[in-house]
Amino acid sequence: MTALSQSPVPASVPVPDAFEARTNATFEALMWALSRPGTVQTLPASGMAGLAEALVDRECKVFCDDPDLSHFVAFTGAALVPAAAADHAFLGLDRAEGLKNLEQIPVGSALYPDDGATVVAFARFGEGQKLRLTGPGIETSSEITLGGLVPGLWALRAARSRYPAGFDMFFICGTSVIGLPRSTLIEVL
Amino acid sequence: MAYVATRGGARAIDQAERLYRAELGQIDATRVDAVRRALPMLIDRVMGEASLYEPDLAALALAQAGGDLYEAVLLLRAWRTTQPRLAIAEPVRQEQLFTHRRISAAFKDIPGGQILGPTLDYAHRLLATDVLQGRPYCPAPVTPAAIAAPAHQPSLAAWQKAQGLVADPARTEVAPDAIPDLTREPLLFPAKRAHTLQSLARADTGGMLTLGYAAMRGYGNAHPTVNELRLAEAEVRVTHPRGTVFSAGRVKVSQAEVTSKGKSGQLSLGFCATLGWNEVKVISGATLDLNAAAAPKGSPVEEEFFLYHTEPVEASGFCIHFKLPHYVTFQSSLDALRGAKTAAAPQSEQVPT
Amino acid sequence: MSIANLTKAWQPMSYGFLDASAKRELRRKMLKAIAVPGCQMPYASREVPMARGWGTGGLQVTLTLLKPSSVVKVIDQGADDSVNAASIRSFLSKVSGAAETWDTLAASLIQSRHRIPEERLHAGQILVLQVPNPEPLRPVEPNMSIARQMHADADYGRLWLILYERIVRSGRIMEGAAYPSLVNGRHVMTPSPIPRWDVPKLHMAQHLTFLSAGREKRLYAVPPFTKVEPLVFSDVPFKVEDHGALTCHRSGVSGFYMNEIPQDNGGSAFEVSDSHLGIKAIRQAEGEADRIGATWYQNGQLA
Repeated sequence: MTALSQSPVPASVPVPDAFEARTNATFEALMWALSRPGTVQTLPASGMAGLAEALVDRECKVFCDDPDLSHFVAFTGAALVPAAAADHAFLGLDRAEGLKNLEQIPVGSALYPDDGATVVAFARFGEGQKLRLTGPGIETSSEITLGGLVPGLWALRAARSRYPAGFDMFFICGTSVIGLPRSTLIEVL
Repeated sequence: MAYVATRGGARAIDQAERLYRAELGQIDATRVDAVRRALPMLIDRVMGEASLYEPDLAALALAQAGGDLYEAVLLLRAWRTTQPRLAIAEPVRQEQLFTHRRISAAFKDIPGGQILGPTLDYAHRLLATDVLQGRPYCPAPVTPAAIAAPAHQPSLAAWQKAQGLVADPARTEVAPDAIPDLTREPLLFPAKRAHTLQSLARADTGGMLTLGYAAMRGYGNAHPTVNELRLAEAEVRVTHPRGTVFSAGRVKVSQAEVTSKGKSGQLSLGFCATLGWNEVKVISGATLDLNAAAAPKGSPVEEEFFLYHTEPVEASGFCIHFKLPHYVTFQSSLDALRGAKTAAAPQSEQVPT
Repeated sequence: MSIANLTKAWQPMSYGFLDASAKRELRRKMLKAIAVPGCQMPYASREVPMARGWGTGGLQVTLTLLKPSSVVKVIDQGADDSVNAASIRSFLSKVSGAAETWDTLAASLIQSRHRIPEERLHAGQILVLQVPNPEPLRPVEPNMSIARQMHADADYGRLWLILYERIVRSGRIMEGAAYPSLVNGRHVMTPSPIPRWDVPKLHMAQHLTFLSAGREKRLYAVPPFTKVEPLVFSDVPFKVEDHGALTCHRSGVSGFYMNEIPQDNGGSAFEVSDSHLGIKAIRQAEGEADRIGATWYQNGQLA
């Protein structure tokens, strides 16, 4: 017998439902992806919807350029807003229009760095542009290649970064995710 | 094994809790019901600080905590925070309140009239010791007034605005869903108006009185006059997913508006409202609100100061946390202290071993 | 549409106590905390069934991370069996079904008040430190709004000044626990109040650390491989507590952070603060196969 068994806590062993298990696993992948920039982590399901259900709800303002995903996001209770007002943005960064949206994404301020948005985009891992990463989460430096992204992306990210202001990015390829927080220095090789 | 003697933590806390609960004995629905009927003012105070309007749960929390107010409020807050939010009620306007009591100290009489309502203000505070001698105290019956006071009363501030006595700031309509919610967002400064009022509404009554009283005695910059004090019931009107607006019931509310002469040649107003009937709290809260605008940083009437320090769950929790062992940090300070002593007097005795 | 399909069936308690919306908010803030190491992120901080100041910030982070396969260790002042650690650990396992452990090496998640275990944490482990006061600037600026502006401006001059004044007065650094440290070269943080002994364990570590203050509603993080540098002057080096030469009178281990136990004869005895390290050493001495992992300190020196 322990103290808490006298309190109104369920006696049986609690089991997470499918939603809880999925969102917990999604977040764990995102957390390690951002903690170890450039490493590939595994999501419980492919696509962006899993990130939306793990992260956003009625407290959030979301920009989304994919109508199907927008519908899903609306169901979470989040407000759909223009890119300039978003705290989370699901972007197609394989085209120039995506870059225009990224230009608008809030980067927060030195006073409130947490106002800098979380940006989610699809990419192809292991092909395309080679990048060298340094910064927190990386022991010395690491190299990754990300493909399927519009040219000018990395220059725009660099131009908009005013650390600690900036935005944080997740790239998705199937069930794989790579995180690039604003603290990561990216050298285009 | 050498460490067995110290491995009693789990058992110790179990038995300590039993010892405490043994004193309270069995808690059943009868006891909860008795608490709810006998102590409506306490129930109101607890519901206000918990920001949860449910008299039965408040009575249960009081029974479970043996009347320890901070424990009762924590029980309710911890329960409240996990509950789903099904709907957000429509804002309530002054003139929509079912008003039981409404007084103003600023004018001899006011539009709608002074309505004394239920109060002990003019009663003699004599302890009814006869009760202990076996003679029950039976309150005398109320004689209804010849003409019942109207249930709805206008707002005095509305009259003052019409007179140009108080500023009438432009109002922007905010959808109920878009009202900032203190329980879902952190309190940051300068605080959003909604956060300030929500924070005052769930503040600790005693703490608010302390700081409000300090302001009244002169640590504030504005002397309050009670413009309007109201005890009322408010209809909780929510929208059904089908679009129908319906009343989900009524809650008791108190609100106070205090005023003083402002800088711009107009009156300034301070406001505070809370769930339940609690006059001391709303007058103190309104006084702090009145003083906040011109308060210097770090003064007790500055918003950041009084909102942080009147949060009952945070303040009481931090106070009792000092009972927890702190020997690791203490040891670290001791090391610095001894190191400094050694450095200052190298010939003196070494650190005791 | 009806209320029924907008919400879920009512449950007396969510898995891991916190409801889904509380967890999502924490997740969002935890990600931001990782993205800007050492920067205090404000969060709503829900009430939990424990008093504020008793680990409610750490608890909310831990509850967000917990899953049935988690293995949880909880320590208070280095001890697993401390009353509050026992209470928190039993709550965590009750609401999540996670396994409990005292073994640092076996834990996937370690919630701690005021200590980092002596055995090195490895990649994949998460350390959650309970924080009473997250603001390193409070000694020079109690007002939170002004302090926030100072962080925004990287205006740490007044903090340097009091450190300097104390050195001038006493000839050495006088800060005890919670030694202010610069994270990733940008934000000064207060490392929970862990003793100075533990601060180097955060620098370029393998593991991920969250620091969470429930009452003050702030959380911050030190990701793996992040620079954590105590604020020191080049001519007065950072100095950990002088415990390197002490020996635990119960377990016989030497060179770790110790608790001092005043004795009747006027002197002091010492026992190792990381209680399970002591237990492992005793078990080893009694011939049991209990593995002590690599430690941050060896022979009282940082390895």
